[in-house]
Amino acid sequence: MISYTADWSLLTPEIVLAAFALLIFTIDFMTGVKGHKPFAGRLSIVALVTAAVLMITVNGTQSAGIGDTFLVDPFSTVVKVMILLGAALVVMITMYYVERHEDVYQGELYSLILFAVIGALIMVSSADLITLFIGLELLSISAYCMVGFKRYRKQSAEAAVKYIVLGGTASAFILYGMSFLYGLTGSTSLTVIGGQIGELFQAYPFLIMMSLLFILGGFAFKMSVVPFHMWAPDVYEGAPVPVTAFLSAISKIAAFAVVLRLFFTGFGGIYEEWAFLIAVIAALTMIAGSLIALPQRNVKRLMAYSGIAQAGFLLVPLAAVSTVDLTISVFMFYAVAYMLMTIGAFAVITAVTETAGSEDVSAFSGLYYRSPFLALGMSAFLVSLAGLPVSAGIIGKAWIFIHAVSAGYLWLAAVMVAATVISFFYYFRIIHRMFTQPGEAEAARTEVAAALEPGSLPAASPGIITVVAFSLTGTIGLGLVPFILTNWFTGLTWF
Amino acid sequence: MTGNLLSVLVFLPLAGALILLMLPRENHGLIRSMAGGTALLTLGVSLFAWSRFDGAASGMQLGESYPWIDFGMAAVRYELGVDGLSMPLLVLTTVIAAIAVLASVKITERVKEYFVWMLVLTTGLLGVFTALDLFLFFLFFELTLIPVFFLISIWGGKERNRAAFKFLLYTGLGSAVMFVAFIALAFTGAEAAASAQASFNMIVLADMFANPAIPEVLGTAVRAGLFAAVVLAFAVKLPVFPLHTWLPAAYTQAPVPVTMILAGVMSKMGAYGVLRVGYGILPDQAATFAAVIAIFGVINIIYGACLALVQTDLKMLIAYGSMSHMGIILLGAASYTQAGMQGAIFQMVSHGLIAALLFFIAGALYERTKTGALSELGGLSRSVPVLAGFMLAAAMASLGLPGLSGFVSELLAFMGIFGAGDLIPAAAVIGIIGVIGMILTAGYLLIAVQRTAFGEMKEQFKGLPDVRPGEYVPLIGLLGLSILIGVYPNLLSDIINTTVIDIITRAGG
Repeated sequence: MISYTADWSLLTPEIVLAAFALLIFTIDFMTGVKGHKPFAGRLSIVALVTAAVLMITVNGTQSAGIGDTFLVDPFSTVVKVMILLGAALVVMITMYYVERHEDVYQGELYSLILFAVIGALIMVSSADLITLFIGLELLSISAYCMVGFKRYRKQSAEAAVKYIVLGGTASAFILYGMSFLYGLTGSTSLTVIGGQIGELFQAYPFLIMMSLLFILGGFAFKMSVVPFHMWAPDVYEGAPVPVTAFLSAISKIAAFAVVLRLFFTGFGGIYEEWAFLIAVIAALTMIAGSLIALPQRNVKRLMAYSGIAQAGFLLVPLAAVSTVDLTISVFMFYAVAYMLMTIGAFAVITAVTETAGSEDVSAFSGLYYRSPFLALGMSAFLVSLAGLPVSAGIIGKAWIFIHAVSAGYLWLAAVMVAATVISFFYYFRIIHRMFTQPGEAEAARTEVAAALEPGSLPAASPGIITVVAFSLTGTIGLGLVPFILTNWFTGLTWF
Repeated sequence: MTGNLLSVLVFLPLAGALILLMLPRENHGLIRSMAGGTALLTLGVSLFAWSRFDGAASGMQLGESYPWIDFGMAAVRYELGVDGLSMPLLVLTTVIAAIAVLASVKITERVKEYFVWMLVLTTGLLGVFTALDLFLFFLFFELTLIPVFFLISIWGGKERNRAAFKFLLYTGLGSAVMFVAFIALAFTGAEAAASAQASFNMIVLADMFANPAIPEVLGTAVRAGLFAAVVLAFAVKLPVFPLHTWLPAAYTQAPVPVTMILAGVMSKMGAYGVLRVGYGILPDQAATFAAVIAIFGVINIIYGACLALVQTDLKMLIAYGSMSHMGIILLGAASYTQAGMQGAIFQMVSHGLIAALLFFIAGALYERTKTGALSELGGLSRSVPVLAGFMLAAAMASLGLPGLSGFVSELLAFMGIFGAGDLIPAAAVIGIIGVIGMILTAGYLLIAVQRTAFGEMKEQFKGLPDVRPGEYVPLIGLLGLSILIGVYPNLLSDIINTTVIDIITRAGG
């Protein structure tokens, strides 16, 4: 039970963020629903950065908890700082986007992002099924609204409906799976469940497996891994670009973090039962994501499939476990890399697609001539996603790979390498486009011919430039001096 | 003084590239001189390193070692060093890179980017030849892929996109296999040495494999599998038949200076990898597989030569000829004799010089005649006598005329294979087939020279400009070095001998 003497200060960052979110919400409707509201965006960034700073100063690397429902440990703190800073970058992209779209209600979008982030933070820290679910739903419901934010655009509305129906089903799966655990243990606490899982599995193997499969299925949807990945391309394509960035970076990492905690703390006792299953899912995800990405022409769909393949890479550490601490270090490094390169790539994608008025990959043709900085930035992000030097991506992937081999999953590592080689093609196709002048035939064929005129620079705002510069520094920097994170991570006790 | 000499050498071109990025795009003269200056400075530093290198000492020299990444179950160190195997290749790289940069006068589009990529590529190549940590080696190896992709796909010929993506696919697959092989090496080594943390250091690994604490881990099958994986990974870059199909496309579509680097230096990365990693860590397997390697070497020689014989395009002919000559390296290395191993290293250097020279001449001819088809060329010895003369000299060097570097390396390699009877069954037969390959070489090279330089002179070739002053630098430089090694082979053998003997004795012990 939670006593009122619990250390509520552990919740400081979340409370501050919630206060800011409500403040922005209030200011928003007090200043009229429509109109430009750059102050709301700036305030959101202030809120997110403040929360991140508080997270570091108040929580640090201590391990504490409010009862056993809300945990503060290095794992949650690192993920939460990542999420907060990532969200701040996404807000910067959003500020660029909303200035070009009169039909979105700016203030609401920012407060929705903040609420979604709060949901993610609660979810990452939760050690109790109920807390976890509340966080999950706060994140998901905010995300549903965000996807349908351009409601007069058919694709956006369609994407929102698809997302809400499928996402709701996934949540129901998770809840159903949890109900078994509660029924068998009489507790919603992950530590209590984790303590009994071994014996329970001996007594009720099928019930426990069913529970695990339902929960895994539900979260597989949130993480967009095979075979629950099919919503991602449609939703990513329909959603406004910054929202796509949010889904593929923030919400995916939050879902992964929860799965790690759930499986290590809750189901850790029966690791042998699920490791192979996760390995198979990871392998299928990497292969399917990479292969289907090959023929994509819409850049958002391409990023969706690339994101699916990346999710497969992130899943590999969960299957090939050495020690829990090392496994989480491996995951965490790639998660940082993934977030940096994904958000950076989406910043460039936003600037390019908004200028060209098209999401076709041909919008990237000759980007280098129009905006060398964006083209170089995008190349670095794609090179990193492809797993080539010098980038955070190759170090992260190599670590996952080495870790998988040391844990005895050589075949999974081999699949990973194969998927990586396939991925060279779709990433390099974009890079190649950016550095070659569009031929005349090409320009005539695509509807974006006008936008490709020399001199039609993507009007990148300082915000976009900041995001790209930040992500670029992180991506390249972690490629050169990865020991900043790796050596720190390997020394941490995560849970 | 020499503490971080190798780091300086490796990252000097990269620093030059970063400075280039800040120069104004339009000022081509400044960009060219900056790039050329960087390349020449790098060459100077490599020669300084050569002067500091003690040929009589065995083991790694000019070493540097710093902890870099702690992966928990494996540690990666930033470790550089050179021995008699890598030192000549290091200098070869800086020579070819400098000459290629100076030979890039015909690049007039997007000059700044071009030189940036060239210098980044140079850093990658130098890194490969100096890295002692397998992980670092892999990173440098992969680093070369990106610049080459751009150099082919932006400044290449008509079929450049196909060639660039083909290169990407093949070398990407090769790197994938390489990475798997490296990780397997590191972990098998750690298991055999009963060490908790895997090491990627090549020297440490070689020791772990030579004196395992738990010998049961290193069964014959495990060792054989590891060796095969390492060789397979580098076979793509080398290239070994049948993994060579990216080669003609890349060599003919890349701009001439890039082809000089591709054929002159990058193919050596493959051979170097086989010798450094395969022979260095698993010498017993290299001896076991000697016959297989020798046979693949002979196949490369014969197959490449036969294909070169039937080519109708000058560049294609040289490309297949270049592949054929890479077989000699395999042949020499397979013999595991002192002469053969020396021949292999000599051939790496010699082939690097001659292949670069031949491609440069082919490029110069194409630029003047606007055609590469052998049937349309002819009589050029009358219109461009000096260039045709250099072509004849290059062809002679390539087919192994005494007094030129090709002769020394081929002689040594074949002496090696004929003397390897106790290691390779039917070594003499393999050697004889190889020598037949040399006759074919003479055939296609003479065809090439005869069809281009001699015969009826075509009307349209009248009054073509002969060698320009700027072109003398690559021509005389490369040919001169080839002659120098041919006349005074001690220059090279003094450096490599100790290492060669080390390699041989390791297999014996």
